[in-house]
Amino acid sequence: MDTTELWIGAQDVTDVMRRLHDDEEFGFELLADICGVDTGSEMWVVYHLYSTLTPDWLRVVAAGLEREDPRVPSVTFLWKGAEWGEREAYDMFGIIFEGNRDLRRIYMPADYVSFPLRKDFLLADDAARSPGEGFRHMEQTHQPAENLRRPVLRNGKLGSGTQVAALGLLPDETEAPPS
Amino acid sequence: MASDVVTNETGLEVETSTAVAAPIVVENTLWTSSNPQAYMGGAPPQITHLRELELHGDKSDNGRWTALDIIPTKADYVLDLIRLNSLWPLLSGLACCAIEMMSAATSKNDMDRFNMFPFRASPRQADVLIVAGTLTTKMAGPLVRLWEQMPEPKWCVAMGDCTCSGGRYKRSYATVEGIDRIMPVDVYVPGCPPRPEGLIYGLMKLQQLIRERRGHWNERQIGPTVPTGV
Amino acid sequence: MTETTKIRSLDDPDIFVETPATIFDAVPPFPPRSEREAEFYHLRDGEMLINLGPQHPSTHGVLRVVVKIDGEKVVDLDPVLGYLHRGVEKICENGDWHHAISNCDPLEYVASMFSEAMPVLSAEKLLNLQVPRRAEYIRVLCWELNRIASHALFMGWLALDLGGLTPVLWSFIERDEIVEMLAALTGQRLLFNYLRIGGVNRDLNHDFLSRLGDWMSRAGNQIEQGTRLLNENEIFVRRTAGLGVLDRESALRLCMSGPPLRATGVPYDVRRAHPYSVYPELEFDIPTRTEGDSYARYLLHVDEIRESIKIIDQVLHEMPDGPVMAKIPRLIRIPPGRAFIAIESPRGQYACYAMSDGSDQPFRLRIHDPSFFNLQAVGALMPGNLIADTMAIMASLDPVMGGIDK
Repeated sequence: MDTTELWIGAQDVTDVMRRLHDDEEFGFELLADICGVDTGSEMWVVYHLYSTLTPDWLRVVAAGLEREDPRVPSVTFLWKGAEWGEREAYDMFGIIFEGNRDLRRIYMPADYVSFPLRKDFLLADDAARSPGEGFRHMEQTHQPAENLRRPVLRNGKLGSGTQVAALGLLPDETEAPPS
Repeated sequence: MASDVVTNETGLEVETSTAVAAPIVVENTLWTSSNPQAYMGGAPPQITHLRELELHGDKSDNGRWTALDIIPTKADYVLDLIRLNSLWPLLSGLACCAIEMMSAATSKNDMDRFNMFPFRASPRQADVLIVAGTLTTKMAGPLVRLWEQMPEPKWCVAMGDCTCSGGRYKRSYATVEGIDRIMPVDVYVPGCPPRPEGLIYGLMKLQQLIRERRGHWNERQIGPTVPTGV
Repeated sequence: MTETTKIRSLDDPDIFVETPATIFDAVPPFPPRSEREAEFYHLRDGEMLINLGPQHPSTHGVLRVVVKIDGEKVVDLDPVLGYLHRGVEKICENGDWHHAISNCDPLEYVASMFSEAMPVLSAEKLLNLQVPRRAEYIRVLCWELNRIASHALFMGWLALDLGGLTPVLWSFIERDEIVEMLAALTGQRLLFNYLRIGGVNRDLNHDFLSRLGDWMSRAGNQIEQGTRLLNENEIFVRRTAGLGVLDRESALRLCMSGPPLRATGVPYDVRRAHPYSVYPELEFDIPTRTEGDSYARYLLHVDEIRESIKIIDQVLHEMPDGPVMAKIPRLIRIPPGRAFIAIESPRGQYACYAMSDGSDQPFRLRIHDPSFFNLQAVGALMPGNLIADTMAIMASLDPVMGGIDK
């Protein structure tokens, strides 16, 4: 990969981050980025740290979070600025950061129920196109909503309990159509 | 390739129609003129689509005062001229189009020439709501509230592709596909973002609308103007 | 669909209750959703909550700040974001890598070459692609022009928020010239869609070069004139000096980057710390100041404009010949991988963490916008100041809501 990566489990985040931040030989003072990733089978939280002692970033990946209940300790005790980053990861993925004093939705309205960036959250017209068929599908004219096909996940399995984004102005089709 | 062929595997009875949806005409009960002759006595407008007027109507594309304007026949005609020559927009820049709106308002492309410079911060003092930028579902509430706080007569200009039809964010889960789903729009200015000259052209079209009393607020058409099924 | 969608009248009061298009929590939510919210919405004696709503004259976009004030003094504040959240990351995941370029454009709409660079540079890193040198120089030229345009706008908006109407007009003149020359090059004034994976879209043309040469000959003078309006202006100095002082430790703990961080004394500039493109071959300094107040941030922006003009000068002199686009296939299938790239945008470290799963669509395109993290500083800086100073502090941090809300 392009930078040094450190793969840890969710329970080690507090100790590892404190060690990286406080130790003089590491001195990772700057948190460059914090984000969540949904790999389809599990969730990760990816931190990028920077220290003046090394020329490049260190990527710390807290992997192995379950998709149904992802919990990870918060790093706001070290970097207050990570608060909003964690709020965004919560809003987009549903990852609960334990210890974040301000874990509420930051982008979506307060009473939104879904987590948009999860892989089982499909855009409304996305169900009509399955990914991996080449880029020519993007050049097709916009299909009317009646042509929604059954949503297909990337690994070919059908999604059960998929959440189709409904703005309230499109037909509500959250169940599988009769086939 | 299979993706090129449109299939309907759901087996649903679908009826794809591309007819324009019949707009819902809502009577305005908020304000009526005390003069029974105002606005053609409340008669419905004979022309509903701008293209028909452009075919048959007046060709002048601005709000310039001609001899016929200086010798008014009806007082409301003068009122319309006064209004179109001093449209005060509301400062409601949402996203990228706001930068172009500001660009249209500053020295190089001056909206002040068309008497449209004072951007009022308060909706109570504004005439025109130039919605510049993507409208998200979270912002839709405040925007509708702003629109309702503006006193009549008021007009709305949808600037940019995102406000006309959703634009490049039509697929998104968090945007409203065009503000005409939630508020009546008088002029659509397409572009991403439209050039300042384009916005000024749209505003001059609005002035023309006001002058020809096509944009009168007696009857508003609320509702999507996009074909059903899209 | 046999039933047409029914749109309710605007006079129907239900529109604020049910339709998801009109969600708006105007009052503090109860029960409070988090510890911080509980402590924020607990009003002590004499305090009140003022809503600087999503629409307000400060032209940074749709940011809503709930301010808790005690008289005229700000005690605490709670920014509410999301009024411009357009779901860019999700749309990028559902399109091609090339589509991501134009999708990421409006993230930093003031200087969109930087946001375009996100998918472009990360795809190039994942592909290990060598970009032709001429394309690199053109990119640096466009980036620095965008930086000057953005900083000019920053100066105008900072003065506008303090009440000065003239500097913003001068800033827009400056910006219009730069943006017209970029329109001669790319065809667009604002959302350029010019960078491509492997280079840039098209080569420089005569119109662009003549405008650029014309502008360069008077750029220095114009900048000096513009800054003379504000630098020694007593009102401006008294309103911004000593306001919103940020120290080095707080800035690092708040994960800030860019001019607000350099104004506290930390010489962290991504162009020197993690060199990319042809910046290692160019000579420029990193302006740094130590006071950390709004006036220092303003002066830093002015210094950066001068450095950018220096860079443009060098680029124009050393521009090599050659192709402007690498030879890559139209349909890009990037092998599975992860990449993190960062560039120095006018607002700070603009970073992107890209993951590819081997298909033609990005698996995850995470855009890290500096304004998002810089804006957290307002929570630390504003308490204790007057309401009128809140705008000065916010303007001096240079937020642009497109990137903050994505």
